[in-house]
Amino acid sequence: MTIFLQSLISGILIGGVYALIGIGLTIIFGVMRVINFAHGDLLMVGMYGTFYLFTLFNIDPFISIVITMPLMFLYGGFLQKVFINRILGALPQNQILLTIGMGLIMSNGIMLAFTSDYKILSTDYSSSSFDILGISISTPLLISFAITAGITVVLYWFLLKTDTGQAIRATAQDREAAQLMGINVKRMSIIAFGLGASLAGTAGALISPTYYIFPQVGSTFTLKAFVITVLGGMGSIVGATLGGILIGVAESIGGVYFGSGWKEVVVFVLFLLVLLFKPSGLMGKSNT
Amino acid sequence: MKPLFKNTTGIGALPAITGLLVVVLLFLFPRFVENTYALHIMILIFISIVMGSSWNLLGGYTGQYSVGHCAYFGMGAYTTMMLMQFRQIPPWLGIWCGMVAALVVALIIGSICFRLRGPYFVLASIAVAEILRVSALNLKNITNGAEGILTTEIPPLKIGGALITDFSSKVPFYYAGLVFVLLVILVTWLLQNSKLGYYFQAIREDQDAAHSLGISLTFYKNVALSLSAVLTSLAGSLYAVYVGFIDPSTVLALDLSVQIVLICIIGGIGTIFGPVIGALVLVPLSEALRSNMIGESLINSGIVKADSAFGSFLTENLSHAHVLIYGVLVVVVILFMPDGVLGFAKALAARKRKEVV
Repeated sequence: MTIFLQSLISGILIGGVYALIGIGLTIIFGVMRVINFAHGDLLMVGMYGTFYLFTLFNIDPFISIVITMPLMFLYGGFLQKVFINRILGALPQNQILLTIGMGLIMSNGIMLAFTSDYKILSTDYSSSSFDILGISISTPLLISFAITAGITVVLYWFLLKTDTGQAIRATAQDREAAQLMGINVKRMSIIAFGLGASLAGTAGALISPTYYIFPQVGSTFTLKAFVITVLGGMGSIVGATLGGILIGVAESIGGVYFGSGWKEVVVFVLFLLVLLFKPSGLMGKSNT
Repeated sequence: MKPLFKNTTGIGALPAITGLLVVVLLFLFPRFVENTYALHIMILIFISIVMGSSWNLLGGYTGQYSVGHCAYFGMGAYTTMMLMQFRQIPPWLGIWCGMVAALVVALIIGSICFRLRGPYFVLASIAVAEILRVSALNLKNITNGAEGILTTEIPPLKIGGALITDFSSKVPFYYAGLVFVLLVILVTWLLQNSKLGYYFQAIREDQDAAHSLGISLTFYKNVALSLSAVLTSLAGSLYAVYVGFIDPSTVLALDLSVQIVLICIIGGIGTIFGPVIGALVLVPLSEALRSNMIGESLINSGIVKADSAFGSFLTENLSHAHVLIYGVLVVVVILFMPDGVLGFAKALAARKRKEVV
């Protein structure tokens, strides 16, 4: 029972970060209807940013998100303006391929610049943990979960209460109607991709004390982000939040009971099952 | 009087003769060129054409974008290698088993994933390929896991006591590759002019319309996938036996699936020669980067000094980033020539013709 609780708790903690990755992807999909295959690579860029901020300027990874977030927002906005806005009307497969290409450029560009060596960002609390009722909780994971929760709350507030947030949601609901209502959809797209990129980058910053950092780290997270968004229902932010936590838990419990090598299979099988039996996702509207 | 030989194919005499000439020249190629590096590049091009063309049957003609085609490549590669290495079954028999294995996987994947459409199908195809990769990584007692399989010896091919080849040079692989290329091109060509091919294209253009005309979507999508998977496994088997080493991160990786799609996209999808063009563009380019030819030639020609910071950067790093060129190419192609190089060239030619008239 302790083992179960232990893996449940660590699953929820890591699930918070997954949720952040998933929310970013789902916002991008909701507004642009483009599946961003470069999402994990954005996260990887965030990881490298955090790593160098830490090694060069000695800025703590959890504090450095104050710098990473706006930078990644600008970077995402730039990508949207230069590349993705051009192909919004193109075939979905071409959009997918474009983002795959962007991802390849990012991961290989980083590899050229910083080699493919694994980097480890070790802070003095990287491997520290504390016990509650016999369950040990990793300090960096707990901190990152708290930050994730904070960011998610702010994000919900932004999307629900501010004018820009409502414009973004309107664009996601119906692009043309939004345009007729005088919303600048191109600008909303840029903001949406910027938001998605900055969430991915922040997730990268948050996990950098506990993960290896290398140029190809992105692809695992891209796949996880897909699983999370499909699980929650494409475009649903609440769904992505729940999906992230669910995947974190499934991975953690699957790893304990099937062996850590198989935990990814558990996730993908879950993914296929959801695709087959409820393709609109757990929180998605049913197909009409 | 009826003509004795009726040309129903719609192929002109000139292209037919040119095609025949190219094939003959390709068959004679190893007789004149003994440079092993040239042969190596040719074999790589052949493998790329085979995997690109096979994908083209599903992605180009039927419109089902599978980004998990490494699954079939890997099935071919693994089956052939495991049979050869652990059961002493020669590769020319193993290849058939590889095809059967790929077919079985394709039927399973097809029956699950073809219930999904568009982006969902893309994601499902990736998920299935990843499950296979992780399985190959974890089933250590069958696949050797992350260590991969290394060939120690390929048994010599004998027919009726006469030694055909002992696989000591690259020439037999060259001919095997060439035969496979001709096979997939023939299959594509036959398909393009057949009823089956029209069914495929109808599904690509409009699934619902095709369905309302009585074309069974699931059945024909599965036919396309099976055909495509079996041919892809050929490329995988040839690659495995030729290179002599496979592991999950080379033959079952997402990168490989992307590469397969890119060969088609860059050349032009849904055309017979698109994948050929794609392979001819991509393979030499990525080989030039991998072997650092570009960096060296920049230094040798005096543009970049070898001892400068940029020079040493080139020599050290450029070879690691041959995948970068795939990224740059795909972005350029999607943004500026969405119909691929072949489509772009055709459009250019059409514009020229208009100007002349």
